[in-house]
Amino acid sequence: MKKFKMFWNFDEEEKYLKDMAWQGYIFKKYSIFGFCHFESGKPQNLNYKIDYRIFKDKKEFDNYIALFEDAGWKHVYGTKNSGNQYFLPMNEKAGTDIFSDRVSAAARYKTLYRICLANIACFIFYLCIILFSVGGDLSKLAFLTPGLWERTGRAFWSAFFFELPFVLLRMTPLVFFMTVIVFYGYWGSKAKKNYEAVMNEDTDKE
Amino acid sequence: MNLEKHLPLTETTYYILLSLLEPGHGYAVMQKAEELSGGRVRIAAGTMYGALENLLKQKLIASVPSSDPRRKMYKTTEEGARVLKLEVQRLKHMVDIYNRIQGDE
Repeated sequence: MKKFKMFWNFDEEEKYLKDMAWQGYIFKKYSIFGFCHFESGKPQNLNYKIDYRIFKDKKEFDNYIALFEDAGWKHVYGTKNSGNQYFLPMNEKAGTDIFSDRVSAAARYKTLYRICLANIACFIFYLCIILFSVGGDLSKLAFLTPGLWERTGRAFWSAFFFELPFVLLRMTPLVFFMTVIVFYGYWGSKAKKNYEAVMNEDTDKE
Repeated sequence: MNLEKHLPLTETTYYILLSLLEPGHGYAVMQKAEELSGGRVRIAAGTMYGALENLLKQKLIASVPSSDPRRKMYKTTEEGARVLKLEVQRLKHMVDIYNRIQGDE
């Protein structure tokens, strides 16, 4: 079974996966665009824990997984660059959580926030390249047929529809990059809010 | 280099630097910290990994060649050992003051 899911909060996602396992849907993986894959199984109590990390190389990723395994946590999903890393306890060594203090649990949101900022910077750079390529004149991406808007009737519509696919093609990267920037901006602001919420939480976890 | 900026150390950092005076991998540090603290300080895996990453960045620990290809070995650097010593002096001073005041009563 596949479900489209997006989470801004790690605790909510952990709870969601736990609830699904309780209903007999065992989390397998995430695929592109946030599709969450489940396999049917017997209903069980699975205490999912999520870390957020991106690794510089495969060796460091292996070292990370080995540390968790040594400590009793099985890495169930995540890749070197996926960010979210999913764990399940495999023995009594694991304890109840992968974090023993609030600061390190909150640090996940800080990492996420930084990665959102880096992505925004990267896509703004792409936007600048587009702007530069048209000499700052975005109208060059729109309809270029001379005198198009003066035409009427069939002459207008045939020219309009003839050029429309080209206009869409020229505009696509621009619209795509802008959408991505807004998306990361939203995600980053959520991450920042969550970070502050965890840091200000009144809890006995110190 | 101003080492004072690292102080005070968190309990997690303190036990990691202390454990890694002898080279060890991540899980060995978790076990040693628990043992040294008499079972009081239990560092969870995610917290441990994050702490090691931060200490590497601050150059208070360094990774050393490992015989195990999957597990990285770490060791406290000279700088890390100096920070640890400064922290001990700081704590000792605090304990001394407490004892002096308590002694006055």
